[in-house]
Amino acid sequence: MKMLRWVLPAMALACFAVSASAQEKTGNRPGFTLAPGSARIVLMRPSIRVGEQSTGGMFEPNADWTDQAKENLGRAIAAAQSGLGNAIVSYEEAAGVDSGRVAEYRALFSTVVDSVIVYQFFVGNRLETKKRKGSFEWTLGPDIAKLPGLQNADYALFVTVEDHYGSTGRKVAQLFAAMAGVGMTSGVHKGFAGLVDLKTGDLVWLNADLQMGGDVRTAEGAQRRVSQLFEGFPGRTGSRPVVTPLISKAAVPAPTTTSAAVATMVD
Amino acid sequence: MDGARTLILLAIVAASSAASGNKLISPRTKIAVARSPLMVNPSIEWNKLDARPGRNAETWTLDGDALNDVTFYGGIPAGKTLFAEVDKRNRPLPRVSATMLLTDIPPLFENSYRIALDTPLMNIDSVEPMAFAGSKGVRFTYSFTRQNEEVHRRGEGRAAMIGGKLYMITYEAPILHYFDKSLAAFRQLADSASF
Repeated sequence: MKMLRWVLPAMALACFAVSASAQEKTGNRPGFTLAPGSARIVLMRPSIRVGEQSTGGMFEPNADWTDQAKENLGRAIAAAQSGLGNAIVSYEEAAGVDSGRVAEYRALFSTVVDSVIVYQFFVGNRLETKKRKGSFEWTLGPDIAKLPGLQNADYALFVTVEDHYGSTGRKVAQLFAAMAGVGMTSGVHKGFAGLVDLKTGDLVWLNADLQMGGDVRTAEGAQRRVSQLFEGFPGRTGSRPVVTPLISKAAVPAPTTTSAAVATMVD
Repeated sequence: MDGARTLILLAIVAASSAASGNKLISPRTKIAVARSPLMVNPSIEWNKLDARPGRNAETWTLDGDALNDVTFYGGIPAGKTLFAEVDKRNRPLPRVSATMLLTDIPPLFENSYRIALDTPLMNIDSVEPMAFAGSKGVRFTYSFTRQNEEVHRRGEGRAAMIGGKLYMITYEAPILHYFDKSLAAFRQLADSASF
């Protein structure tokens, strides 16, 4: 509740740049390891939203950009997943399943990660109960394993991408702010990738940043984003590249069932 | 919370990094809350957030206020709002009245949330009499969804008008996993409220 109440009065304060050096971007649950070829991972439908950031900093969705990003990221994720060291299959919703519940878990994942960023990764604001040595205790709850289709899986992999590209007005405001000696951010380029242990619902690995690289409206940019998202993915095999070279749409070979599914399942 | 909101919050944190920061609330220690004479005695550890939702309010959490949020309103006087205005000219928040009945409190809370969150998806689900902090009070439950979010949240509150001021404790969390997980801890806090 408080978050939103702060938005308007916070606009002025938002001019201050966030100290990047004070923020962590990756978390691992203590003791968690994942050997290559040891687990079955289900990739949940990625959540993707792209739009413009207004002069005042508000998000204005853009359907065309979102569609472009879904296509580009879907292809990049499909290309990358074979290099992640474990069998990754796309989540398939059974007929008649309450799709709202699946969507709500995706939303809960994003909310949990937002909290991880604000109350753990940002060291200066870390909650006292999260300060204990090696602590990384975040969860979606054990009931996630009850979602149809996850019964035989070990982990669920969630991906969230949200990009707010600075409008012309925002960029002009940024320029004037800079001339006045005040730092102002333009744009949000959020990327979360998180692995959830289906035995407990606990978040065991997370990569999350609010200023990731790569313009997801382009194929090359989407590949860069996906590469960053899966950086440090547990169980990844050695130096094997995460992202395969870009293949033009016309030259794409007949996709496997899994990669084809990923390319079309993004939301 | 969307990306912009998170970034704004981080900016606030960065701008106020010299501030005192969030604080640990130790269990089994009676403590005054919300800059008021209202006291509670928690049974578990909580984190008290440095940022306050209003002059006479404070928030405790376990995992962040988007996941579990207990807010204390410590004697909101007549003529004041529950929290800071978001758009006073076009959508002013309702104000506390010294003559409010107990049954007026849940609607005040509901309308304040609808305006502050800019969402029609806020409802009071139940209201019943229940003593609070040694006075006649009210217990209510509510549910809401923030704009542009798919996370459904549930909440519970206890409140009373004492000496013409509004004292209230609310708890809210996502329905999935979080609400039930800490409901007992909230109820213990609310039951311990005293002066």
